Amino acid sequence: MKYKRIVFSEEALSARVRALGKQITEDYAGKDLLLVSVLKGSVFFLTDLARAIDLPLQIDFMSVGIHPNPGGVAGVVRITKDLDHDIAGKHVLLIEDIVRAGLTTGYLMQNLEARGAASIRVCALLSNQAEQLISVPIAYSGFEVPKTRLVGYGLDVDEQGRNLPFIAEIQTGVDGN
Amino acid sequence: MPVITVSRQMCSLGDDVAEALSRKLGWELIARNNLFSRFPQIAPTPYDLHMLNESAKYYLKQREGERTFRDVLQQELQEYLKDHSAVMMGFGSQVLLADSRDALHVRIIAPKKTRIQRARKQYHVSEEEAEKILDTADRKHKKFVSTVFDADLSDPACYHLILNTAALSVDECVASILALFKERELHRQMELEAEQLEVRDNLSERPVFKNQAEEEFAKILDMYQIDWKYEPKTFPIEWDAEGNVTMAFSPDFYLTKFDTYIELTTMNQKYVTIKNRKVKKVRELYPGTNIKIVYKKDFYSLFNRCNPNGEL
Repeated sequence: MKYKRIVFSEEALSARVRALGKQITEDYAGKDLLLVSVLKGSVFFLTDLARAIDLPLQIDFMSVGIHPNPGGVAGVVRITKDLDHDIAGKHVLLIEDIVRAGLTTGYLMQNLEARGAASIRVCALLSNQAEQLISVPIAYSGFEVPKTRLVGYGLDVDEQGRNLPFIAEIQTGVDGN
Repeated sequence: MPVITVSRQMCSLGDDVAEALSRKLGWELIARNNLFSRFPQIAPTPYDLHMLNESAKYYLKQREGERTFRDVLQQELQEYLKDHSAVMMGFGSQVLLADSRDALHVRIIAPKKTRIQRARKQYHVSEEEAEKILDTADRKHKKFVSTVFDADLSDPACYHLILNTAALSVDECVASILALFKERELHRQMELEAEQLEVRDNLSERPVFKNQAEEEFAKILDMYQIDWKYEPKTFPIEWDAEGNVTMAFSPDFYLTKFDTYIELTTMNQKYVTIKNRKVKKVRELYPGTNIKIVYKKDFYSLFNRCNPNGEL
C-alpha cells in the first residue's frame, strides 16, 4: 500500500477519540445509549470510541449497499445488514467513519427515524462540510478533512488498508474510500 | 361562496352603496338591523339581544364552554357563507372574514365637510349638531371594532378598495366594486385551475429537466429515498433603481427534509463563475438559506459511485 503522507497519526486519533468519548459520556449520562456502527469503515472507530465512553451502552451494526439496476438506470440503495435490536425509546448514536456527500447518512437517519428512537444523532470521525450535499447534522465530529483520498483506521482502498493504525493520504489515481 | 363586506362612515352613502350592490347581485344584505333576527342563535335570549345591542364588551362574554358571542357570530356567518353569497354591511364583518379568500372588503368614506352637509339635510340640524352626531357615530363605530375584534376599522390594510364619495355617485361606486369583484373572481378561478393542474403534475408527471445531469441527479436522490422538488423557488437577487427585479436565481433542487437547495454546475467555467456569484448573493440576501453547489467534478464522482457502469 503506497501512501503520500500520514494525515492523522495513531496518537492523534487516540487523543481525539478519547475526547469524543468524554463528551458523549457527559451528554448521555442516565440515557439508554445505543451505538450503531455503519459497516465496514467505522468498525475500528466504534470499538475505540465505545471503550472511551464511561457509560453502560449497547452496540449494533448496519450496512448499506448500492445494487445495480438491471434496467441500466441508477441502482437501488438498500440495507444489506439491518439492526439486530429494536431501537424504540433508545438514544441512537450513528457512528460513521467519514461523511462526505451525506447521502448514505441521510438515508440511514430517515430510515431510523421511522423506528421510534428517543433521539438519533451522528458521530463522524471524519467529515467535509464543503462536500456535503445535504445538511446532515453531525453532533460529534473528529476531524474536518479536505477532498483527498484516505486510507487506514477502517478506511479502505479496494478492501485493503483498513487495519492501518493511522490515516494516510493515498497516491492519486488509486480508488479510495 | 363570494361575499362583499361594506364598511362605511356615517353619511358617506355607504348604506346606499351596500343596498344597490345587494339589488344588482341578487344577494341578501346582512346588516346590524337584521343580523340577530336573521341568525337567532347569536342572541338566544331577549336579555342577550338587549346586551348585544347595548354593549360591545358583551360580545366577548363566554356563553357556553370556551365560546364567546363573537365566536358564535363568526361561526354562524361562516356556515351561512358555505351555501350563500351575501353583501354584509358593518358589525366588523371585514375583520370577521379577513382571512376568507372569497371575501372582497370595501370601505366607503367622504370628507368631513361633505358628511356634515349630508347630515344637516338628513336630520335637519345645525352644522355644530351635525358634526357632533358624526363624531359620536365615528367614535362608537371605532370603539365597537376595537373592543370586539381588537382591530382599527380605519386601517386601510383591512380593505381591498376604499371609495371616496365626495365626487363619486352611488352608481359609480357600485360599478367600481362590481368591476373589481368580477376581475377578482376571474383571477380566483384561474388560481383554482392552476392549483388543480399542479396537483395533477405532482402526482403523475416528473418535471421537465433542463439537461441529462439534472435528470441523473434526481435519480440518485430517488435511490437514497431523499424527497426533492425541482426548481420550487426563485430568489430575486438584483433590483433596478425603481425596485424592479432585474436578476433572479432558481436553484435546481430543494431537498425538503434537509431544508437544502442544490444547484448543479456541469457547464463550462464561465457559467460556474456566474452561478457562484448568484449563490453568494442568495446567501447574503436571504440569511439562513442553505444552498449548495455541486461542481462538475463532484457530480461525476457521485454519478460514477452510484452508477459503476453508467454513461452520461
